[in-house]
Amino acid sequence: MRPARLLLGLLALGACTRAPAVPEGLRVGLITPGSVTDAAWNSGAYHGLEEIHESLGVPVSHVEARTPAAQEEALRAYAAQGYGLVFAHGYEFQDAAERVSAEYPRTIFIVTSGARTNHRVAPLIFRLEEASYLAGMVAGRLTRSNVIGFVGGVELPPVKAAYEGWVNGATAVNPNVQSRSTYLNNWDDAALGREAALALIRVKVDVFHHNADAAALGVFQAAKETPGVLVFGANADQSALAPAIVPGSAMIDLPRAFLAIAREVQKGHFMPRVIVFGLEGGVVRYEPNPAFTGTLPTDLGPRLQAARDSIIAGTLRPTARPRHRQAGAAPRAGAQG
Amino acid sequence: MMLDAGVVDGFLSASVRVATPLLLAALGEMLAERGGVINLGVEGAMLCGALAAALGAASGGAWTGLAASGVAGLALATIFALAAIGARADQIISGTATTLLAVGLTGAVYQAVFGSAGAGLSLPTLVPVPIPGLADVPVIGPSFFNQPVTTYLALVAVPLCWWFLFRTRTGLALRAVGESPEHARAAGVAARWLQFAATVTGGAFAGLAGGTLVLAQVGTFAERMTAGRGFIAIAIVVLGRWHPVGVLGAALLFGAATALQFVFQAMGLAVPYQLFLMLPYVLTLLLLAGLVGGVKAPAALGRAAE
Repeated sequence: MRPARLLLGLLALGACTRAPAVPEGLRVGLITPGSVTDAAWNSGAYHGLEEIHESLGVPVSHVEARTPAAQEEALRAYAAQGYGLVFAHGYEFQDAAERVSAEYPRTIFIVTSGARTNHRVAPLIFRLEEASYLAGMVAGRLTRSNVIGFVGGVELPPVKAAYEGWVNGATAVNPNVQSRSTYLNNWDDAALGREAALALIRVKVDVFHHNADAAALGVFQAAKETPGVLVFGANADQSALAPAIVPGSAMIDLPRAFLAIAREVQKGHFMPRVIVFGLEGGVVRYEPNPAFTGTLPTDLGPRLQAARDSIIAGTLRPTARPRHRQAGAAPRAGAQG
Repeated sequence: MMLDAGVVDGFLSASVRVATPLLLAALGEMLAERGGVINLGVEGAMLCGALAAALGAASGGAWTGLAASGVAGLALATIFALAAIGARADQIISGTATTLLAVGLTGAVYQAVFGSAGAGLSLPTLVPVPIPGLADVPVIGPSFFNQPVTTYLALVAVPLCWWFLFRTRTGLALRAVGESPEHARAAGVAARWLQFAATVTGGAFAGLAGGTLVLAQVGTFAERMTAGRGFIAIAIVVLGRWHPVGVLGAALLFGAATALQFVFQAMGLAVPYQLFLMLPYVLTLLLLAGLVGGVKAPAALGRAAE
């Protein structure tokens, strides 16, 4: 639908003297479901693409495709043009990538947050919930009202998992914590994000987490306007957005993950598989805001470290449902006041 | 549950906040439609207004941003008017094209100015200004009279639009054009000039609506941040029966329904959130079906004047 914004102009940026010769003229495409100016999910992917171009010296291209029809068309367009590697940046691309892959066996499709491998389709899974769990632990100690809040774009499985991790982390350090969530059904409407946050503040929420891309900018704005309200960043290190109110971010180092995959493809030994990144290896991590160092409880650091170790060791599951909650209502509702 | 006074006040203020950009855009669209022009470019004009507000506020403060948003909306509506009125192109297609143009244009300009990595801007905003006396009235005081200046602008525009449409010769001529441009012309009215003027003025209103989102609400710009409000504004014009007071009521109703669904979600009821998100739209549909049934649109709406 939208004309391809080919970013081959990036070629002008680096002469790429160190880059090895490119086998078979590998080209790398990226399709994002939203604008790369969201300072979160999509902008991270775009940085990854830039990193691939700079480090590997291969031509890269990006398009934005929002509707299922446009997304499939974009996948098809890259495959038909002979792109060797295409990043389809979101869970919503899974089915379309499988269909297109059946027709174009020479292209490798990476579906970020995807569900399964099929043909040459490989899901790239980020266990953001592991980092959200750690963010939740900090939030559980920082909340004074004992009510924490979450604003989501659409309740996709990875978004839901991150939310559950956040709530479980908070209840692990503070059993009195209640949690409230609001979904916008939208990733762009920052004004609606602000209204959602203001409504949550009215029911005593004083610490927020989000997974709403550009719409979350409204959550940050609401927190800036309301003294004592904090927001934990998501998908990228968002401390710089509002240094005074962001204690830390549950982030995905998308450039690192993208580059690792592109390197494998370039060397020719990529095998389609479920690619998982979590706290182990540091692609997914909790990035504290240095400005908050010293304001946090002293025992929290060691507890975070211990939780991180347990998650990596597999003895702590961030999304495990707490036993005392009903399956249907947990963890959205909590005890009602 | 916690339905205390704070929650009620919060709900009313939120209703007015959500309604403000819708009211501005819908009043502008109402002017155009009264002259027989249906402008689907409202969404685009809002988006251009939002970006212009961000650019203006970044360089010259919130008031510069507000002025820039009106000018940007007017400029985009001029493009639409040149095609739909000047060249008599199909109004639906011209309007849709104008909105698509604005989506691409604002994205490209935003990325060119602020970089492709995206900037969470911290723009100067228009803070709520309490109106002495009125702001202390119980219940409606804080929600209607402790708001940013753009809300007052929208509220004052309601009687002004009414006065213009129903108490001035030009307003009468515009309404005549909307019913039958041929007859209006025969009576000596410059039909197409009037349509042009009403459409670009409507565009300025839509631009201000976009500016409201940036300057009075989020303090930053995000691509496609208007998220369909322009189209909702068009529905509000119909729901408000092409009358300024009706449009005010419809905008407030939609604002209230949106605010209410956030109150419901925030209360943490174990109900699928999609049900709450449907609320404003279901309400609009029900009212359109039940209330507006007998009302007639301007007879020449959507038809190019000779």
